[in-house]
Amino acid sequence: MFDSHLTRRNFMKTSASVAATLAASQMGPFARPAHAARDKELNILCWEGYNSAQVLDPFRSSKSANVKAESLTNDPTMINRLRAGEINVWDLINVNNPWARKVMMPEKLIKPLDRAKFEPYFEKMLPQFKPPYKWAMDDSGKELLGMAQRFGPYSFVVNTDKISRKTAEDQGWDLFNDPKLAGRFGILESDDWNVFGICAIAGFDPYKPHSPEEVAKFEETAKRVLKNKKVVGDIATMNQALISGEIDCHLTGGSYSVSPARADGHLNLRAITPNKGPFAGGKGGIAWIEITSVVNNPQGSPLAETFLEYVQDPVVAHTVAFAEGTFNPVAQMGNPECFKLFSKEQLDAIQWDSLDEEMARSVEYDIVPDYDKLLDIWNAAKKS
Amino acid sequence: MSGDSSFLAQPGRRAAIPIMVLLLLGFVAPLLAVVGFSFMPPRTFGLWHEPSLENYERIFSDNTYVSLLWSLGLASLTVVLLALICYPVAYGLVRVFGRWSTALTLLFTIPLIVSENIRLYGWVLFFIKGGVLPGTLKALFGVEMGDFLFTPAAVLFGMVYVYLPFMLFPMTLGIAMVPNQMREAARDLGASRWQVFREVELPLSTPGLMIGSLLTFVLAVGAIAEAKVLGGQRIIPITHDIEIAFTYAQNWPLGAALAVLLMLVVSVLVLTVLKRFDLDQILGKR
Repeated sequence: MFDSHLTRRNFMKTSASVAATLAASQMGPFARPAHAARDKELNILCWEGYNSAQVLDPFRSSKSANVKAESLTNDPTMINRLRAGEINVWDLINVNNPWARKVMMPEKLIKPLDRAKFEPYFEKMLPQFKPPYKWAMDDSGKELLGMAQRFGPYSFVVNTDKISRKTAEDQGWDLFNDPKLAGRFGILESDDWNVFGICAIAGFDPYKPHSPEEVAKFEETAKRVLKNKKVVGDIATMNQALISGEIDCHLTGGSYSVSPARADGHLNLRAITPNKGPFAGGKGGIAWIEITSVVNNPQGSPLAETFLEYVQDPVVAHTVAFAEGTFNPVAQMGNPECFKLFSKEQLDAIQWDSLDEEMARSVEYDIVPDYDKLLDIWNAAKKS
Repeated sequence: MSGDSSFLAQPGRRAAIPIMVLLLLGFVAPLLAVVGFSFMPPRTFGLWHEPSLENYERIFSDNTYVSLLWSLGLASLTVVLLALICYPVAYGLVRVFGRWSTALTLLFTIPLIVSENIRLYGWVLFFIKGGVLPGTLKALFGVEMGDFLFTPAAVLFGMVYVYLPFMLFPMTLGIAMVPNQMREAARDLGASRWQVFREVELPLSTPGLMIGSLLTFVLAVGAIAEAKVLGGQRIIPITHDIEIAFTYAQNWPLGAALAVLLMLVVSVLVLTVLKRFDLDQILGKR
């Protein structure tokens, strides 16, 4: 009984032994076996879409599994969560192309996939994903680090009733240098992408080290663009502002952001990839490709790889492409069984008509060497 | 009772152990972690680096004060506006509206069930170009409404709207606490209606006003959604700065330092007010 015989000394002793027992149960022979306890659960850290019931429910019921998915809207935060210890929580991570091979694998946050089992899926994807697909492989080209699925160009979006597609493509990023556009454009709150966009508006490639002159130009451009903007907001705000006429275009955007509005019949809103720009090879736009990898979780769920195979199925891949919130092309459209599931309206929503040429005019999303410095400048500029 | 061994001899203290442990783990430990992180070198993710004051130096050397001033300024304005708006409404609920009071109270309460973000997006649709208000004004009167959405005024509007119940209900209780006999006695002794209000009702309902103001201020200084949704990020409150540091910037130590700074500023302000207006004294140590 917990009675008056308890002194501070024996209270401390009791507490210490309880703590020691608890600790031992986590580490010692009482620790739960790696897989036995988790073969019916799966935790996914992803961009929105993979967390939708349309995608997850059939998997949940077919495997009788408890699947939890959390969606975030920027890669650095997701990587951060793993770095901060959540490597023990998540089984799958879905982020943009460079992070798996350039950051997560070197930091051992993810583990390679069975190449023999998963590489054949790449054979059925669109031609640009044929194996060995660069962003799915490690630097040595030997390890397969993840699976590709959703992708798309992501530069900016215009209302073609106000700014024609040709003008936007020809003028490119310079559009945002035009004083006449002041008060008529928005900025999507996607700050990692905005850093890329401001570099492009300032006239240089974001994905290379920058000189002090370029950094100064970045600061001047960031302040000017932020001063001239009408609104900064999320995807829904941008689409709403475009439809209502509050803004004529917005910085950072593409099929990922504008497709829900296009699917709702607003085909005058269009993702633009400039004809030329300051990127490598004079390319005008930026494109992203998601790579989904298995987290290096010491108690990882065996369902992680099962899920990666599940989303390769043509029907599921189509569901992923049109999961709630954002509609996107998927690499699995290379498989005729998958492609035939897309209606004309759905192809229109994701701008299938110009997808190939826009991807060809885009460089692939990469990591900015001096991102921290440029992001700090961008964030300070928001307050000036 | 004396000596070390007697501390836990009281059953009350022993019974408090579970809740104390819960509070230590659930409240004090995360707070200490935040304070600890604020002294870590920028852009690190562990608590075991050599402590540094770099984050605080940066806060005072760059333009972070702008965000802090926006947050404090908007929260103060919200409190003042809500005090002016809510006092007559609370007075009406207690003294004037009679049996309609319950229905009106419900009308003020029901929106709280709906998520704040959804309510704010509702206001976006109300104020957006061609939306409910500008569209109606144009269709009926041919009047073009000027820009309101995505301005600091829209942020203030949103904050006043969201925090209204938090001022209204403490104030209603405060006014209800004023005994009717006091008012009647004042009237019997020849006080005018204005004198009754100024010398009896207002001072006696001060606890409600004070509690409402403190509650609203503390909540409003932590507001973020109003500036994001209605303000279109035209202004960046300190809470948004903290969010950016913890997310895109991957700079937890800076975010932690900003959070500590905000906690300190708000605590000092609240404690100063509480020192000046002793709630125990106002409430008569009930």
